[in-house]
Amino acid sequence: MTHKVIKVKDNDVVGSTNDFLRNLLSSGKIQALLVPQNTPSKKVAFPVLISDPKKLHADIVAPILPASTATIVSKMTKVQPPSKPIGVVMRSCQIRALIELVKLNQASLTNIVIIGVDCPGTFPTNTYTEFPEKKTPTQFLLEAWTKKSDEAEKYFRSACRVCKDPIPTNADIILGFYGADIEKEIIVEAHSEVGKNILKELPLEDEEEGKSREKAVKELREEKAKKRAVFLKEKEGLKGIDKVSEFFDKCVNCHNCRQACPICYCKECLFDSSVFDAEAYKFLRRAEIKGLFKMPNDALLFQLGRMNHMILSCVECGLCEQACPNNIPLMDVFIPAAENAQKEFDYQPGKDTKEKIPMIVYREDEFLEVGEK
Amino acid sequence: MSEEKKDHKKEDFEPKIVGFLCNWCSYAGADLAGTSRIQYPPNVRIIRVMCSGSVDSMYILRALLEGADGVFVGGCHPGDCHYIDGNYKARRRMVLLENILGTLGLEKERVWLRWISASEGQKFADTMKEMAEAVRKLGPSPIAKHWNL
Ligand code: SF4
Ligand code: SF4
Ligand code: FES
Repeated sequence: MTHKVIKVKDNDVVGSTNDFLRNLLSSGKIQALLVPQNTPSKKVAFPVLISDPKKLHADIVAPILPASTATIVSKMTKVQPPSKPIGVVMRSCQIRALIELVKLNQASLTNIVIIGVDCPGTFPTNTYTEFPEKKTPTQFLLEAWTKKSDEAEKYFRSACRVCKDPIPTNADIILGFYGADIEKEIIVEAHSEVGKNILKELPLEDEEEGKSREKAVKELREEKAKKRAVFLKEKEGLKGIDKVSEFFDKCVNCHNCRQACPICYCKECLFDSSVFDAEAYKFLRRAEIKGLFKMPNDALLFQLGRMNHMILSCVECGLCEQACPNNIPLMDVFIPAAENAQKEFDYQPGKDTKEKIPMIVYREDEFLEVGEK
Repeated sequence: MSEEKKDHKKEDFEPKIVGFLCNWCSYAGADLAGTSRIQYPPNVRIIRVMCSGSVDSMYILRALLEGADGVFVGGCHPGDCHYIDGNYKARRRMVLLENILGTLGLEKERVWLRWISASEGQKFADTMKEMAEAVRKLGPSPIAKHWNL
């Protein structure tokens, strides 16, 4: 592993990382860079594919995840991957999602250089655009960080609060804030041969003490695990049809959650298909079973069906929850469901592209009691 | 006693069970039970499928949400699937479905998977008796009375 640092000039974290990214893009090692950058209105930062280093004014700190970066990389690579490397700046949950999409043959890592960024957490898109504080979300977050205060916590999306691991894995290069004194420097690590070859060409300084990062990462992971345990405990009560149906009461079956989900990739989702179009008499017959039934129909079937189809690959990015027009706190059920199901199959989404997703493989000598009881 | 309470009286409750039976084994097993005049409870409504591996969890969920008191999936014994591994995949899917239903407290005891071959008419009848009894004990599905799903 190569350890380097970006020196932070004039206390300008974003500017200094942009110098690094511009150098990277100018080096010719990559032909373009996908990176969050504020739109001209400055109200919102979106992933932007940049080929001209002069046009790069990114903000890799911006606490927002407006759309799945993994889905974007899938779009850019699944028809034909690039012939020369493209750098993609991603948060850990999106790298995990990308790995799942590769397993599902929906994305390629050929000539994709993953630049993972430590993630302090993100705000819901609407909180970001209507940020109530006097500073920009990025300034606010950076100041909270240097003060080591948790005042940004209240703005974070619930998925981020209990994130499994904010530190990127499977990245070629990591830009690290944890363990760095970010008023002075940002850590740059190469985690692959590709990453090493790139960093070698760039004007970076050697890192003095690698130990502080290790310790900070360990502490962060422990703290997150604690928060997650509390969250899981809290949500244990959400059980039984009374509570579950009440939880989804506001669902209008719009499928926005599925649309925002990086894992749900099916071109034609069963739930959009004509399976759910039926003659009037069939609706009436269904009404007659219970005497009445709620419309739009099959909202809970959609939720449970979707869960059955994708929960083993759920990376807990919370984009589904962010997309819900009726603010249903979907993570309250998706995180416990993902936790339990992934444990059952001893499967960690996003860990390894060589691992197969559990529903396409089997062993003859497993779950022997199922089917025999 | 209110209408609703009366619904829940267990003694006179006849469970509605939806059975997805593999054409090559359990369905033939049910047929054999019939032609051999082996008695089994009429609670099960049989739907023939080509393989237990073709039963998407969606079918099971739909039946449960629409008011079935139990859902049965019958497949060929491990190693005997006519499509080689459909039943192994069905088994994994069942583990996942039960896990999710368990997390949400949604009556996973009402969903059964069993291996029953074409020659096991008696086993089919016995399993149906066993399941009808077990579901009768559980009582009517609480999901069945919810119309706001
Ligand atoms: S289900 Fe929700 S949390 Fe899970 S991967 Fe999809 S969008 Fe992310
Ligand atoms: S986005 Fe919300 S309302 Fe729309 S289908 Fe998903 S949970 Fe239901
Ligand atoms: S053919 Fe019977 S389970 Fe596959």
